Amino acid sequence: MIGNDVVDLALAKYESNWQRKGFLDKIFTNNEQHQIHQSENPEELVWKLWSRKEAVYKIYNRQTKKRFFNPKIIECVTDEKVIVDNIVYFTRTEISADYIYSEAVTFKEDFDIVKEVSNPENLLKINGIPFYEVNGKVYSASKSHHGKYEKIIYLS
Amino acid sequence: MNKEVQFDKLKLIIKPFVKNEEAFNNITEDTDFINDLQINSANLVDIVLDTEEAFDIEIDNESMEKMLTVKAAMEIIESKLATK
Repeated sequence: MIGNDVVDLALAKYESNWQRKGFLDKIFTNNEQHQIHQSENPEELVWKLWSRKEAVYKIYNRQTKKRFFNPKIIECVTDEKVIVDNIVYFTRTEISADYIYSEAVTFKEDFDIVKEVSNPENLLKINGIPFYEVNGKVYSASKSHHGKYEKIIYLS
Repeated sequence: MNKEVQFDKLKLIIKPFVKNEEAFNNITEDTDFINDLQINSANLVDIVLDTEEAFDIEIDNESMEKMLTVKAAMEIIESKLATK
């Protein structure tokens, strides 16, 4: 399975005040908070960690059918690995001046077959889970939209 | 606190983060913060923090986990107020 999440940094700045008292503590583990406080660019790290957690949540939610809001139980343990409920997921993140974009997969090798969706009209939902149809075959897909940015990908 | 007062107080907290005004105008207990009101998930944290402040309660992560609908939020506020 696959999950993704994009953060429009200008919009995030407008919508959220991550420096607000209690904000970090609700979302990030002690270890993640420590990294944020040590970072030279804490704001970038906040949204990087956030987008990785969100991308992984999308997979976990689809696998378990559990819906919840508790980003703290989804922990970024290395720059690549994210763990929730003892399950390891793999993430990769693209950072630009304007957006932060993360992708998550269940198997590391799957990164090699991630492709961008070129015909969004061929996206479909089965039990609320997105799939992409190509030549009659359906593939696991994920869509993320925030502000000016939209990313739709699938596992080919 | 009577339920209606609590509901009005909660509505005031949610309002600034709502992206779908029409859904907000038709808000009921079953309204979903993300699916119906199209609230950005990062703003759910603000709703939790604002709720804590407005009702002078503490919402632990276990409770926050369920706070995805008006109904769930109302139940959490009620139970936290009861154990205060």
